[in-house]
Amino acid sequence: MTNKSEMDTYFGERKGETPLGMVVGGSLSSGLLVKLDSRLSIERLAVGRYVVIQGKSGRKFFGLVTDIALDATNPDLVRQPPAPDDAFAAEVYSRQVAYGMLSVSPMLMLDPEDDQPRPNKTVPAHFAPVHEASAEDVERVFGAEDEKHLFLGTPLDMEAVHVNLDLDRFVERSSGVFGKSGTGKSFLTRILLAGIIRAGRASALIFDMHNDYGWAVKEEGGHEVKGLRQLFPGGQVSVVTLDEDTSRSRGSKVDRVLKIGTQQIEPEDVEMLSGLLGLSDVQTGALPFLRRRLGPGWIDRLLSDTPDDELEKMVEDERIVSSTLGAIQRKFEFFRRMGFLVPGAGDDAVDDIFRRLNQGSSVVLEFGRYGNTLAAYILVANYLTRRVHERYVRKMNEAVGKKADEPRPLVIVIEEAHKFLDPAVAGHTVFGNIARELRKYNVTLLIVDQRPSGIDDEVMSQIGTRVTCLLDNEADIRAVFSGVSGAGALREVLARLDTRQQALILGHAVPMPVVVRTRDYDEAFYQWLGATDDAGERKQRAKRGSEALFGE
Amino acid sequence: MTSDDKAIGRVTRCSTRGFVGAVRLPEPEWPVFGTFCRAEAQQGHSQVIGLIYDLSIEDDELARQLAATESLSPEQLADSQVNRQVPVEYRALAVGYRHGERFVQSLPPQPPLTLAPIHRLSDADVRKFTAQLDFLKLVIAVQEIPVDDLLAAALQTAAAARPESERRAYLVEAAAECARLVGRDLTRLESLVRSLRP
Repeated sequence: MTNKSEMDTYFGERKGETPLGMVVGGSLSSGLLVKLDSRLSIERLAVGRYVVIQGKSGRKFFGLVTDIALDATNPDLVRQPPAPDDAFAAEVYSRQVAYGMLSVSPMLMLDPEDDQPRPNKTVPAHFAPVHEASAEDVERVFGAEDEKHLFLGTPLDMEAVHVNLDLDRFVERSSGVFGKSGTGKSFLTRILLAGIIRAGRASALIFDMHNDYGWAVKEEGGHEVKGLRQLFPGGQVSVVTLDEDTSRSRGSKVDRVLKIGTQQIEPEDVEMLSGLLGLSDVQTGALPFLRRRLGPGWIDRLLSDTPDDELEKMVEDERIVSSTLGAIQRKFEFFRRMGFLVPGAGDDAVDDIFRRLNQGSSVVLEFGRYGNTLAAYILVANYLTRRVHERYVRKMNEAVGKKADEPRPLVIVIEEAHKFLDPAVAGHTVFGNIARELRKYNVTLLIVDQRPSGIDDEVMSQIGTRVTCLLDNEADIRAVFSGVSGAGALREVLARLDTRQQALILGHAVPMPVVVRTRDYDEAFYQWLGATDDAGERKQRAKRGSEALFGE
Repeated sequence: MTSDDKAIGRVTRCSTRGFVGAVRLPEPEWPVFGTFCRAEAQQGHSQVIGLIYDLSIEDDELARQLAATESLSPEQLADSQVNRQVPVEYRALAVGYRHGERFVQSLPPQPPLTLAPIHRLSDADVRKFTAQLDFLKLVIAVQEIPVDDLLAAALQTAAAARPESERRAYLVEAAAECARLVGRDLTRLESLVRSLRP
């Protein structure tokens, strides 16, 4: 028996409501075909909308409209349409002969006796009525906003409904934010990070290539919006910079300047740069040898202008070819241009950053002017990530052995991720390992990229939650859906997103794929985070302090 | 439309698929193509609903001789057209029956008996009967009669029995049902829809 009241509690009553149409065919893998009721206008529908299908057995199905088509009972109609000025014939034909078809991707189903919907494992029977999902339906599926659920946006045409992302699940596996340039990836990423930091679900290590996250950022319209450091003035976010001058001139509050000692650089840190520096396989292969023979100061010695006996001896002994050594030295000249690299042993920056992360503070690493040098970005991101990851692995192993607490979950944010996760290098870089090992060591990636097709397939298939703004390159669209069942139908949805403030979210952190108009990154958002524009209040506080100290 | 009180003839031949009615000239309002009519059956327990589709007047020896006459006086013409005993015959297709107050749109259980009076269906009954459109498939299924012309005439009759404000909507709905039934033949459908235009 169908428990009407329970079903209606979950998906709302349908009494008297005209269905959109009925299921006339389809399959679980390719989606359902729904014949549109002739009384309804096809023009008011849109891909990305939700529908609720009332199955014959009492089971309800929740689906997503993935395509809309015009069809006819007689295929000759396209060659023999009614006369253009014959409104009567057009009306008659559109009642029976010509009709609209919806492709619906079934997402969730709810049995009469269940109180929570489950992933879909079957399809509704023929002729099951299909209703447009109400705001209440959608709201119930995406749950209420709370400490662990971040309101990320509203479904299309349902401004009152909040789509909430499960933050625990979001940080549990590596995630991705994809989209063409100018589609709002950075804004979306900032919202996600602010949500994670506010909820305290994880620390974030953000490799901020274009200075988008730490301090104030100018929108395309010239309006200035706040960075994470401003939104969390209470110490939850630290800004570490590679380029103190640029950070200061931008007015950014800097908690630390990162200097890397050349003695801290290992051959593995340089290997990822081989393509960008033009190091051949032979030259790259010689680096560990040079490191072993020259000791920790190997880079300083290679860059030194004074003759080095040991290097000359290596050439004489034919341990290394002179031309190879010369090429390495020429290409290492790159390190001289990187002002954040200082000769010598460097300091304890990695330990400091690890400590901050482990104490619950997120770290934004600003690249300043070095953000335009991809090799610098890759060098530093790889350098820091390798070392932070090593410490996480160590700490996690100690936690397993009951010698320490588990390290705090960490999300590492990298931009231009395809440079790190390219199929040629993803197999043996720390980023590839982090993506593959899931949350084994409490470290996951949040990759922000405009060319997901450049990312290794195996890594992409491990991405738990994908937040995707508009993509129009076929290869990129294919890449975003790799490892997602029933993805074919969603392609149409993705290709038709608006260029701004719309995103398709699918994967681990949402019960089903959803197209949202992302929430505004504005004063209301700051208020939600508890970071209002308090300049006036600060002045008042300063005045009160001054009065207390010096009298009126 | 006129009232249904006066009979428009009597049944001369019948089957469950239809019946033939005959009426003596000069009836002032003898039926027209596409008229809905009714004839009693089952000893008055039901009424067969017919749709008139073929009207004919048989000739006889006198008519043939008069037709060959060079000049025909007005008296001879009036005598032949008005006073003759040769009836006007019409065929009606059974498209349903009435049982009590209920109309059923399928073939009747029994045909009317010979000489059963035939009445025109009143406007109210036409509206009631044609509120459903299942009878269209009974008409379309018939061979060797001008089905499309009959459909057009019947549906225009049904529309005319409705208030002006409802006619267009009714014709759209009826034409859509025709489209469902004959949609495979777009040429035929196009012609049918054209003849149903309000």
